[in-house]
Amino acid sequence: MKKYLYSSAAIIALAMTTSSASAACSPDYTGVEITATTQTGPYIASALSMAAEGWTEKTCGTVKVVEFPWSELYPKIVTTLTSGDDAFDVVAFAPAWAPDFTPYLSEMPVKYQEGEDWLDIAPVYREALMVWKGKILSQTMDGDVHTYTYRIDLFEDEANKTAFKGKYGYDLAIPKSWKEYLDIAEFFQNNVDGVWGTAEAFRRGGQQFWFFFSHAAAYTSHPDHPGSMFFDPDTMKAQINNPGWVRGLEEYIRASKLAPPAALNFSFGEVNAAFAGGQVAQSIGWGDTGVIGADPKQSKVAGNVGSAVLPSANEVWNYTTGKWDKFDEILNTPFMAFGGWQAAVPSSSSKQEAAWDFISYLTSPEVSGQAAVTGGTGVNPYRISHTTNLERWATIFSDREAAEYLGAQQASVTADNVALDMRLPGYFSYTEILEIELSKALAGDVTPQAALDKVAVEWDNLTETFGQESQLEAYRASMGLPAK
Amino acid sequence: MSVRDLKGSGRHWVLAGCLAWLAFSLFPLYWVAITSFKSPVDVVGGPTYLPFVDFQPTLTAWRDLFSGIRGEFFSNFWSSTIVALSSAVIATTIGSMAAYSLVRFTFRVRLLSGVAFFVIAMGGYLLGRDVFGVSPALASIVSFCLALALSIFVNRFRLPGPVLGNDDIVFWFVSQRLFPPIVVAFALFLLYTEMGKFGFRMTDTYFGLTLAYVAFSLPIVIWLMRDFIASLPLDVEEAAMVDNVPTWRIFFGIVLPMSKPGLIATFVITLAFVWNEFLFALFLTNSKWQTLPILVAGQNSQRGDEWWAISAAALVAIIPMVLIAGLLGRMMRSGLLTGAVK
Amino acid sequence: MTREDPVKHFFLWPAVLVVLAIAIFPLIFSLANSFMSLRLVPPIPARFVGFDNYIKLLGDERFWQVVRTTSLIAFTSVALQFVLGFSIALALVKKVKGADFFRVTFLLPMLVTPVAVALVAKQILNPTMGPLNQITSFFGFSNLPYLTDANWALGSLIAVEIWQWTPFIILLLLAGLQGLPDDVYEAAELENASPWQQFWGITFPMMLPISAAVVFIRIVESFKIIDTVFVMTGGGPGISTETLSLFAYQEGFKKFNLGYTSALSFVFLFVVLIMSLIYLAILKPYLEKYK
Repeated sequence: MKKYLYSSAAIIALAMTTSSASAACSPDYTGVEITATTQTGPYIASALSMAAEGWTEKTCGTVKVVEFPWSELYPKIVTTLTSGDDAFDVVAFAPAWAPDFTPYLSEMPVKYQEGEDWLDIAPVYREALMVWKGKILSQTMDGDVHTYTYRIDLFEDEANKTAFKGKYGYDLAIPKSWKEYLDIAEFFQNNVDGVWGTAEAFRRGGQQFWFFFSHAAAYTSHPDHPGSMFFDPDTMKAQINNPGWVRGLEEYIRASKLAPPAALNFSFGEVNAAFAGGQVAQSIGWGDTGVIGADPKQSKVAGNVGSAVLPSANEVWNYTTGKWDKFDEILNTPFMAFGGWQAAVPSSSSKQEAAWDFISYLTSPEVSGQAAVTGGTGVNPYRISHTTNLERWATIFSDREAAEYLGAQQASVTADNVALDMRLPGYFSYTEILEIELSKALAGDVTPQAALDKVAVEWDNLTETFGQESQLEAYRASMGLPAK
Repeated sequence: MSVRDLKGSGRHWVLAGCLAWLAFSLFPLYWVAITSFKSPVDVVGGPTYLPFVDFQPTLTAWRDLFSGIRGEFFSNFWSSTIVALSSAVIATTIGSMAAYSLVRFTFRVRLLSGVAFFVIAMGGYLLGRDVFGVSPALASIVSFCLALALSIFVNRFRLPGPVLGNDDIVFWFVSQRLFPPIVVAFALFLLYTEMGKFGFRMTDTYFGLTLAYVAFSLPIVIWLMRDFIASLPLDVEEAAMVDNVPTWRIFFGIVLPMSKPGLIATFVITLAFVWNEFLFALFLTNSKWQTLPILVAGQNSQRGDEWWAISAAALVAIIPMVLIAGLLGRMMRSGLLTGAVK
Repeated sequence: MTREDPVKHFFLWPAVLVVLAIAIFPLIFSLANSFMSLRLVPPIPARFVGFDNYIKLLGDERFWQVVRTTSLIAFTSVALQFVLGFSIALALVKKVKGADFFRVTFLLPMLVTPVAVALVAKQILNPTMGPLNQITSFFGFSNLPYLTDANWALGSLIAVEIWQWTPFIILLLLAGLQGLPDDVYEAAELENASPWQQFWGITFPMMLPISAAVVFIRIVESFKIIDTVFVMTGGGPGISTETLSLFAYQEGFKKFNLGYTSALSFVFLFVVLIMSLIYLAILKPYLEKYK
C-alpha cells in the first residue's frame, strides 16, 4: 500500500513539474532582450511596459522600453533605420511616417494575419492603415479618429436652451453639421458668461493641421471618388485649394475666433486643458479629451462629458465636375486624424521573431483591451471588442458618458465615408508648408484662398522633386486604391 | 571696508534694483516649484499661487516621476551627473592648459599648412570612401592621421603666405561653436555609427558622449580662461622663472590658484552647458546613457502639456546645479582674498 | 610677454587634438554634402549639384527673413543682458546688502535646462492657466497676445533670453571685477573723483577685455537659439519668429533635406564668422589701448 502511495505521489509530482516547466516560456525566448522605442511616457510607453511585464512572464524574454521626446522621435527613428543601426527591435510610431520607414521594415509573419483576433481588428485599420502596397508592415496598437465633445450640463441647461432657440430657431443639441457647430460656438462665446465657444488646436507645430483636415473632410471626401481628398488619384495634382478645402479653412478660421483668448497658440494639449478646466462648451479632437474630461482627478467637469461623431455636411465638392454635390441628408464623414500608433519591426533587427511575438501579445484583445481602459496608456479603441464591453469603461466614465464615448468611437471608425489621413513619403515637407500658410491665414495675413493656392503650388513642386510616379503610387497605396 | 563699497543714498536704490531683479528671476522658479505639487485640476482651472491656501499640494507628479512611467528617471539622472562632471573637469583642465600656453608662449602656424591639413583630410576621406571603396570609418581615421602628420611636417618649411599667431588659434577654437549644433550632432552620430560598424562602438557609450562634450566645451573654456590668465600679474611668474621652477609647476602651483575666480566661473559654466545640453545627448545616446534634458523635453507630450510633470522634472534637473553653484559661490567669495596675495 | 619652452606643446596639443578629431569630420561631411542633392527620405540617391543649394538658399525669401529675426533677437537680448548684467555685477562687488545671498540666487536661471525654461515660460504666459495674464489684468491689461502676435512674440522670446542668460554675464563680470586692483581706486578717491567718473574712467576700460569676450560668446550662442522658439511659438505665426537653428532643424531633421541643410550651415557659419571678425576688428584698437 505504502509503495503504491509513494509511487503515485512520485508520478504526480513528476507530472506536475514537467507540465509547469512546459507551461513557462512559451514560446521560449529566455535570454532574449528586445528593445522597443517610442515617445516619452506615459502615453504608449506605459502600454508597452505593461505588455512587457506580461510577455516576460509568458516567454521569459525581456523588453527594454526606450523613450524619446515626441518631437524628436521621428528624426531618431529615421537616423537609426537609414544608418542600418540595430539599436531597436520594435518601433512604435505615427502612421504618417510609415511611408518613409517602409523600405526598412520587415513584413508581419503570415501566422498572425488570420483567425478571430485578426478579424477583431476594425476593417479600416486591418485593410487600409496597416497595409502598404499589398504587404502588412505594421500592426495598429492604438486607434485614432477625431470626434466631438460637448458639455452635457451646458447643453441641458433650460436657460441656454431657450435663449439658443430664440436666437437661432432650432433646438440646442449635438450639431450634425459644421454650420450648427459654429452657431453653438457663437452662442456660448457671446451670450453665456464664463465660458467660451469651442477649443481646437491652431498653433504651428501643435497638431493644427489635423484639425483643419477634420473641418474640410466633409466637404472634400466625396463618397463616389474615394481617395481624392488631398490629391487627384490619377494625376497626383494637389487638391488642397479646391472650394471644398477653402470652405473648410474659412470655418476653421471662424472657430478660432469663437475660442478662448490666445487660442491661436493652442496645441491639442491646451484643448484638453481648456475642456477639462471648464472653459469651453465644445471641442473637437482625439478621444483623450473625453477620457481626461471624465477623470475627476484631472478635470473640473467630470460627469458632464458628452461625445458624438464629428459634425459633417450635406454637400461635397466634386472635383471631376467642378461643382458642389448636394445630398438630402447629412453625410457622415469622420476623419481618421493621425490614424493611430503603429508597431513594427525594422529589418535591421536581429531578433525579429521575438519582436513580432511581442507585438502580437501587445495587441491581443485581452492585453489591448485592458490598456484601452487604463488611463495614461494612450491606447484608444481599435478592436471591435474594445467598444462592446461597457463594463470596463464604467471605472472612468459615468454610464451616459461611456455610452456616448464608445458610440462615437465606434460610429466614426465604421462609417461608410470615413476619410483617411494623408500619408506620403516626405510627409514633413508637405505639412511644413501647410502649417506656415495656415498660421498666416489664421493671423489674417493672407486670405484663405491665397494661402491654399500657395500650398497647392508648393505641394506640386514637392511631388515633382520627389518623383511624380513614385508619389502617385504611394498616395494610391495609402488611400487603399489599387495600383494603376 | 574697501574703498569700492557703496556709499550714500544711492545704496537704497541699488538694493531696490537688486530686489526687483530677484523677484523677476525667482518668480518663475517659485512657480515651477509649486506647480510640481499641484494636481492637474488645480493647474487647468486657472492660476493658483499659495500652497494650502489656493490649492492642496499633492505628490502625484513626484511619484510619477520617480516611478519611471515618464521615462527612466534614475538612470537618466545618474548618466547626466557622471557625464557632466567628467566633461567639465576634463575640459577645464586641458582647456586652461591650452589657454595658458596661448598667453605665455608663441605659436606659429602657417596658413598654408592649415589649408593643407584640411585639403588632405577631406580629399583623403572622399578618395578612400568613393574611389577605394573603403569604409567611411577607416577612410576618416587614415586621412586624419595622414593630414595631421603631413601638415606638421610641412609647417617646418618656410611656406609663402600669412603666418597665424596665438590670437588666430584662439579664434579657430571659438569658431567651432559657430556651427549649428544640429548639423554637428547628426554628423557625429554618423561618424560614431560608422566607428561602431568598424568594431569600435561609440554611440550610447560614456566615452563617445564625454568626448563630444569635451570637444565642444573646450572653445568656451579657452576663450574665457585666456582673458582671465592674461589679466594676472606677471611678476610672480617671473620670480618663479628666475628660480628655475619648471613650467608645469608654475602653472599648477601659481597660475591656477591665482585665477581661481575665473577658473571656478568657467567650470560652473561648462558644467551647466553639459548638464543642460540636449541635441548631442539625443543623437549620441539611446538608452544606456540617456541624460536628463531628454527626460524633461519628453514631458512635453503630444497629447497634453502636463505642467505638473514638467515642473517636477525641471526642478529635479536644477537642484544638483543649485547645490554646486552654492558650493562654488563660496569658493569664489574667497577669491577676493587671493587678489591680496601679491 | 612670451617665451620659448618646448613644454608649450604639451600644454596645447591635448586640446587641439580633441577638438580637431571631433570637429573636423562634421565639417568635411557637411561641406561635401552641401554640394550634393541629398535627401534621406524619400530615399533618393545623392547626386552632385555644384552650387545649386547655395544659390537656392540665397534666393530664398524665408532664409533672409530668418536671418533678420535671429539677428534681431540676438543683438537686442545681448545688449540688454549686458547692461543689466554689468549693473548687477557692480552692485554685488560693491557689497550691496545681501550680496552673498544674491550672488547664489541670481545664478539660478542660467542653470535650468533651456527646454524647461521654454516650457515654464509658455505656461506663465498662458492666458487661462498662467499667472502673468491675471497679474496684468489687475492693472487693466488683459489678454495681451504674448505669443500670438509677431512683435509681441519676439518680445516674449527676448524677455526669456534675458531671464535665462543675464546670470551668465553677471557671473563672469563679477569674476572680472573681483580681480581689479584696489590701488587705482584709492588714487582716484584721493583726487575726489565721483563714482560716475570712477566707473567710466577706471572700471569700464579695465573690464573691456572681459566684457568683449563675454558679449562675443553670448552673441554667438544667441544666434543658435532653438529650444525656446520651438516650444513657445513653433516659429509662428507664419515664420515671423523662426530662427536659423529652427530653420535648419526643420530642413534637416523633419524633411531630411541634408544637402540643403548643409549649405545652410555653411552660410550660417559664414555669416557669423564675418560678424565676429567685424566685431573683433572694431574692438581691437580699444583693447590695445587699455591693455
